[in-house]
Amino acid sequence: MTGNNNSYDAVVIGGGHNGLVTAAYLARAGKKVVVLERRHVLGGAAVTEEVFPGFKFSVASYVVSLLRPEIIRELDLPRHGLEILPLDGTFTPMPSGDYLWRVNDHYKTRREIARHSKVDAEAYDEYGKAMIEMGRFVKPILSMTPADPTSRDWKGFVDLLRLGRRFQHLSPGDQYNQVQLMSMSAVDFLDQWFETDVLKATMAASGIIGTFLGVRSPGTAYVLLHHYMGEIDGAFRSWGFARGGTGAISNAIADAAREAGVEIRTKAPIARILTKNGKATGVALETGEEISARVVCSSVDPRLTFLRMMDPKQLPADFVEDIERYKYRGSSGKVNMALDGLPDFKCLPGPGTHLRGAISISPSVEYMERAYDDAKYGHFSKRPYIDIVIPSLTDPSVAPPGSHVMSCFVQYAPYNLKGNWDEQREAFGDTVVDTISEYAPNLKSLIRHRQVLTPLDIERDFGLSEGNIFQGELTLEQLFFLRPAPGWAQYRTPIRNLYMCGSATHPGGGIMGAPGRNAAQKVLSDWRKGKVRG
Amino acid sequence: MSAGGAATSRDVVIVGGGHNGLVAACYLAKAGFKPLVLERRPVAGGAAITEEIHPGFRCSTLAHSGGPILPRIAADLDLERHGLKTLRPEVRVLALSPDGKHLPLYDDPARTATALARHSDKDARRYGEFHESLGRIGRMAAPVLSMTPPSIDDPEAGEVWKLLKVGKSFRALPRRDAYRLLRWGPMAVADLVSEWFETDLLRATIAARGTYGMFGGPWSAGTGANLLVQAAIDPHSAGPTSFVQGGMGALTAALAAAARALGAEIRTGVEVARIDIRDGVATGVVLSTGEQIGARAVVSNADPKRTFLKLVDPTDLDPDFLNRIRNYRSSGAVGKVNLALSALPKFQGVDGDGKALLAGRLHVGPEIDYLERAFDAAKYGAFSPHPWCDAAIPTVLDPSLAPAGAHVMSVTVQYAPERLREGDWKSQRDAFGDTVVRTLAEYAPGLQSLILARQVITPRDLEDVYGLTGGHIFHGEQALDQIFTMRPLLGWARYRTPISGLYLCGAGTHPGGRVTGAPGANAAREIAEDLKRAR
Repeated sequence: MTGNNNSYDAVVIGGGHNGLVTAAYLARAGKKVVVLERRHVLGGAAVTEEVFPGFKFSVASYVVSLLRPEIIRELDLPRHGLEILPLDGTFTPMPSGDYLWRVNDHYKTRREIARHSKVDAEAYDEYGKAMIEMGRFVKPILSMTPADPTSRDWKGFVDLLRLGRRFQHLSPGDQYNQVQLMSMSAVDFLDQWFETDVLKATMAASGIIGTFLGVRSPGTAYVLLHHYMGEIDGAFRSWGFARGGTGAISNAIADAAREAGVEIRTKAPIARILTKNGKATGVALETGEEISARVVCSSVDPRLTFLRMMDPKQLPADFVEDIERYKYRGSSGKVNMALDGLPDFKCLPGPGTHLRGAISISPSVEYMERAYDDAKYGHFSKRPYIDIVIPSLTDPSVAPPGSHVMSCFVQYAPYNLKGNWDEQREAFGDTVVDTISEYAPNLKSLIRHRQVLTPLDIERDFGLSEGNIFQGELTLEQLFFLRPAPGWAQYRTPIRNLYMCGSATHPGGGIMGAPGRNAAQKVLSDWRKGKVRG
Repeated sequence: MSAGGAATSRDVVIVGGGHNGLVAACYLAKAGFKPLVLERRPVAGGAAITEEIHPGFRCSTLAHSGGPILPRIAADLDLERHGLKTLRPEVRVLALSPDGKHLPLYDDPARTATALARHSDKDARRYGEFHESLGRIGRMAAPVLSMTPPSIDDPEAGEVWKLLKVGKSFRALPRRDAYRLLRWGPMAVADLVSEWFETDLLRATIAARGTYGMFGGPWSAGTGANLLVQAAIDPHSAGPTSFVQGGMGALTAALAAAARALGAEIRTGVEVARIDIRDGVATGVVLSTGEQIGARAVVSNADPKRTFLKLVDPTDLDPDFLNRIRNYRSSGAVGKVNLALSALPKFQGVDGDGKALLAGRLHVGPEIDYLERAFDAAKYGAFSPHPWCDAAIPTVLDPSLAPAGAHVMSVTVQYAPERLREGDWKSQRDAFGDTVVRTLAEYAPGLQSLILARQVITPRDLEDVYGLTGGHIFHGEQALDQIFTMRPLLGWARYRTPISGLYLCGAGTHPGGRVTGAPGANAAREIAEDLKRAR
């Protein structure tokens, strides 16, 4: 578009995957939409960057988990270049020299688990079945606008009743599992099924990613579901890499958005959200340029939206209090390495398909819990949980021939560190390399480049407050009708025509796109009902 | 219907004479039945007992404060006429500070606010609002304590109505409180208090109550719910301080007296070996002596694990049910140390004889991190090197418990895990006792020199002597997945069990632990209903 016509139906703040999804859906409904991204690249935390010449990294988010199938279909993402390559299995090396290697093939995995425990191998079948049932119950909740139990209007009440009914229709066994999943710790939950420590530790790991909780903290069991929900998304394989890195997902969505008529501007940092007597009217860029719109959708987190881009005085005091209290507490870091070869694991030497999946440094439940203890008292874990992927094995396009990119998701790295992250960054990086080297001694000799991202870096580079990769902790008191603030979990805000569409809204973080899609639907229904008034 | 030849027969046999068993006996007797209570130990009372720990020194062996017993129950059973005298000190809690700047939490929140001003003006201002808000929420939730949890699958009209009433009062709450109730439950209590207060000592003192009896620290999610349950029982931000003249044993003695007066029979020193089940129906109990007692209803005051895994033949239970009972979490974290003291300990920073300040509970656990580290130890199978202590010197208000001038000190200690990684409780008992005394002596120098006798109760003792499986004082963890309609198990939260004629009435049922009598009263209501129907 051209500078002289600076007025739109909707302006979307932030070109992360959720912002792009919202924009695409609004445009498909015939709205004139512009997306404004602060950085030079699109994608927010779902971005691919050539950090070192020839080496392309999924700098932040690195695997596709739950990208909603309806979004993939409706936006026709494969046609726009989305190609998901399988992420096959999880390989957990153990100090004992043994390992646990779970793959997508249920029966192979069953045999592998039997190697550790016959009982667990049998429990694994039961567990899988139960999880799939649970997933069926929870999945619809992801794409629903959270009902508010305190709402005086009947709709909220009816929505809740409907939820209750669905729960009633579960078999007693499933009701029991569901209740436990929603409230228990990952380890307590898994203890009921399995005895193999390394199996429990590795499974429980998925329960703590991105949270400031330990595997023994109540509320971590729920996330175990996501793994299975990924697997039951049917024909489309939801767990994997995007060819070309995670950024390719954002690019595909952006492409779909552009095709629908969305205008996308990068290097367009926003100074503030413009309001006029309680209504959002547009945004002002840091350049001073003003863009007016009937609707403003913010995909950035609430702290940036309400406390940085607005004058809190325009907002109800209670609301501001809730937004200030909303917990981020980033707990993870990222170490990206450019390698001259492949790491060689003592317990399973040589290259092999075990390197093509996730490599999980989670040898025991106690190891995981102690990693958390360090963080509770303000230190990064002396021996952290690390989730490693080597995408270049599946997608050679991201590294020069013979070389590899290895990206390590590391927990715990508390944002509120005793001391200063800028001084401890490299020490943190060394800890990660040393930890992995205990299992793959040749690693050090392979490292050509190393990029260390602390929570502080994640905050600075990606605009994620306190470096929380989910735009706010996924803890029970910050989920569903409480996300991001009680009474404001339905994508609306106290400012008319200002909406939230990022991971800080239901159902939260991860490359799902659900918040973006749900928000777009809320905006459009408000529009139809004439609630959007200039 | 008699269970075999010469067996005597009863309407109702209650297995275990803890406070809930006795409350159930009272209400069943009031309903016109003839309950027989069978207590294994020489005294009834379960975990609410007073025993002599040293010649002339009597102490509340386990629990040292009431939940308190629900006022409605105390009134229904006329407990005061039967000798119950509750002592309510003006200072509910004295939060001890290493620097001697102790913080008294008074029964009167205004006085607490004044005391808080020494620490923080902001907190002094906020305390009132917190106290009020927690109070409103607690009073709103209180009726739930006396409710039978609704059945998920086919709620009966009566319950739906009760629930709607609760729902109505929920909606009647100021919206801020309604949201607080919803947020606080799943929260880590450490987060909850940090949202309100900046004074570490105050944060820790309130947060600790959220972990009371739990195998969790202040950073464990869901500890907020534990605080809310406490608020429903006693809507006071400092937590309950409800002592009993003569120790907690006097409370259960009053309950026993009331029960007998109402026509119940209580036999002590008789151990139930098993519950008799014929074709899925409980027909009575068999004592360790072989004596058989038939009954139309068998009511277990024992915890769910003991009831179903020890007293019932597993072949009488569905494997799924058994499996879930096995998975019911009841690994305790509490130990107890009782001291006979030659004189009142002198606490640094407490001037004069200090009696006014020392009349309530004493909180040792100055910071959230202190409490969390105490829990960390338990996670890895060790007792806390610096434990959280909830202490009381009941003789300050009730000299009758000890010789003139002498005192007893009752100390509830967290954390003491059921299973120790190094050594066992037999060998660690004294080390544990020493740790507790050393911890207290940091605040009351010279305490050691006053100690005439010391009773150390480990989680093992709680299981072996007092019959609490896993040493869990609440008959099982009060986590989000083990409360209300899920206590002890989803689908079996209505005091009935898969075995018809067998009921639960202990802390393993809604509303759970603490000395309230509510589980016993609720269970009695359901049992009486069934028995009347059967007539």
